[in-house]
Amino acid sequence: MLGAAACGKAPEEGGGTSPAAKKFTGCMVTDVGGIDDKSFNTSAWKGMEAAKAANSNIEIRNVSSKAEADYTPNLTQFVNQKCDFILAVGGLMEDATSKIAQANPDQQFALVDGKVAESNVFPMQFDTAQAAFLAGYVAAGMTKSGKVATYGGMKIAPVTIFMDGFADGVAYYNQQKSKNVQVLGWNKATQNGSFTNDFVKQDEGKKVSDTLVAQGADIIMPVAGGAGQGTTAAAQNSGGKYSAIWVDVDGCESTPNCPALITTVVKNIPDAVKDALLKAAGGSKLTADQGTIGTLENNGVSIAPYHDFDSKVPAELKAEVDKLKQDIIAGTVKVTSAAQPQ
Amino acid sequence: MTAVSTITVDEATAAVPAAGFWSRDRKVGAGLVLLGVLGAVLFGALATAQPARFTLSEDSGGAALEVGGTTGAVLFGLIAALAGGALLTGRAHRWFAYLLGAGVVGFVLSFLCWQVSAAPAGQNFMPLVNVVRGTFLLALPLIFGALAGVLCERSGVVNVAIEGQLLMGAFSGALVGTMSGSPWIGLVAAAAGGALISLLLAVFAIRYLVDQVVMGVVLNLLALGLTGFLYERLMQQDTKAYNQPPHFPVWRIPLLSDLPVLGPALFTGTIFLFLAIALVVVIQLGLFRTRWGLRTRAVGEHPQAADTLGVRVLGLRYRNVLLAGAIAGIGGASYTLVIYTFTKNMIGGKGFIALAALIFGRWSPVGALLAALFFGFADQLATYLGAIDSVIPSEFLAMLPYLATIFAVAGLVGRVRAPAADGKPYIKG
Repeated sequence: MLGAAACGKAPEEGGGTSPAAKKFTGCMVTDVGGIDDKSFNTSAWKGMEAAKAANSNIEIRNVSSKAEADYTPNLTQFVNQKCDFILAVGGLMEDATSKIAQANPDQQFALVDGKVAESNVFPMQFDTAQAAFLAGYVAAGMTKSGKVATYGGMKIAPVTIFMDGFADGVAYYNQQKSKNVQVLGWNKATQNGSFTNDFVKQDEGKKVSDTLVAQGADIIMPVAGGAGQGTTAAAQNSGGKYSAIWVDVDGCESTPNCPALITTVVKNIPDAVKDALLKAAGGSKLTADQGTIGTLENNGVSIAPYHDFDSKVPAELKAEVDKLKQDIIAGTVKVTSAAQPQ
Repeated sequence: MTAVSTITVDEATAAVPAAGFWSRDRKVGAGLVLLGVLGAVLFGALATAQPARFTLSEDSGGAALEVGGTTGAVLFGLIAALAGGALLTGRAHRWFAYLLGAGVVGFVLSFLCWQVSAAPAGQNFMPLVNVVRGTFLLALPLIFGALAGVLCERSGVVNVAIEGQLLMGAFSGALVGTMSGSPWIGLVAAAAGGALISLLLAVFAIRYLVDQVVMGVVLNLLALGLTGFLYERLMQQDTKAYNQPPHFPVWRIPLLSDLPVLGPALFTGTIFLFLAIALVVVIQLGLFRTRWGLRTRAVGEHPQAADTLGVRVLGLRYRNVLLAGAIAGIGGASYTLVIYTFTKNMIGGKGFIALAALIFGRWSPVGALLAALFFGFADQLATYLGAIDSVIPSEFLAMLPYLATIFAVAGLVGRVRAPAADGKPYIKG
């Protein structure tokens, strides 16, 4: 209801006072996490802002979805406001975007973390399994208890792809080193595990990680948006008993718990969104089949610097991770997940 | 202090007579027999020969109670069935509560023996300290919220605004706590924040006779909007100055904190844990053993009669509603003054579960505590099952706490009666 204030401007059409050159409007609808989720909504908005900074003819707006029922009205609202470029953030918005895009075939849409059949929806997807694989390898190399864990916000592809990659990274470490590091909270084979069923409530995140720690895990990767901050806060409070790995945006910039974070599985949403908006503003029509997939190779996904853990991660492990990254880019190590973008 | 005996809500409901062969005892007994047999046969068949270990510590280490998976599942299932059988005879009414307890605990243990023994290698244990502590932590906001509900509704004002009071408390606690740098000042501010929402409820419900349920819903939205707005415009702009609340330290109660299982879970915690338990005791005694309590209940049941006898009905209602808000506000601070920073809508519906706990607990503080703990346990159990790679799908586990609550309210608590004047404005005349 508050986000509406940010986009409540009347459409600027036909007014005698409007400037000579009409500005290109980029409009963004957030997922339920909201614009300040310190995760993928925040980073998509960062991309919009970066595009605006690069091209002064771009004007940007956003509206936050409070519930899944808001997707359709929010998208429709922007269609009615005659936005030139409408960005839907989040795979949960696929159905709503598809419906609205079908009804407005000449309208340019873009979708983060999802892909639909309509050709006027430009998809931006990320093979985060590749970066999460590296994080799993780091975690397996760093654990003292021999158990690491991950949990998700909801069992949807953009979430489970992290968990799949993480589990495989640990399995790869075990295979290389003949070790037996266990992954708690996610079973890739059965696709079942621990979920907060929420992307906002920190107490739900802490509830899950407390239990995973009691089961023996000493490194935890929450893939649950803001709810994961319950885990990072508790990890920092634990006095080094356990640590965390953040996702989406470097946790040292986006959470107050940098000292407890080993690294972050980064999804480079800002650059993808910025490029798309700049291209659209430049007059190109973005179609579904031109969609981008972020990989380790094109720096669409990566793992963040170790920050406070830089001195604690052994140089040998760092070198192995760098080598592994090259192997994944070269294709000698294959990362697979049912949730990977096609 | 005068010791006065009056009929309470609880006694009034328990006095409902049972009719026909299928008395409540027999119905519950039949249910338990079914569950027990299901446990012994199904869980027994699914359990593995792996031992199920229930450790007395926070992790896999330390002393443990151990039982073979299959043996345990069958044994506890039979215990549940036996307890049910005893109730089914219809001659065990005196021991109803104990038999019901044995039946439910037996069934849960049978289920756990299956789950723990079937967990992946190295995970065949359940750390009891973590389970008990988790149960209390998850129940904490519910206890504060339900106590706020008890105070209001016992004096005849429906409090649907618990969610808003919790949220306002969390927000004020974070803001003032950060600005002053003292968790104690934050705590006072949290109580004031909750009381502010209560004040609005009281003025509109008592002075202007607005429908109390509608008013409560509106106040929840107001609290959500107001805290969300200030969060975006104030806290987001300068996190360091406005949203880095100081934390209360963890206290250990000497001697008691050395008890196995209960010590680390119950006697080691922040001020909020101890405050919640103390408030339950104080309000329970206050409501049923003091002059204030008698008057409060009278005002909630029959305000005309109380007025005739010289009780200031409206004054008492104002006072209790404000006190309720302060208690809920303190409950909200248990979010921001212990570990988290404030975020939008961070209570996320706990206030409504608290409302359910209040009804499930029959409008009594101890009942509300037990109901909150029941919900907390179901929630913790679901989380535990997710962590040990249970075969139960995570979507179902997400439902479990709510499902268990519905069954408990519908099946075990039976008919409940709200205070007679609950929600009815009092017009002197």
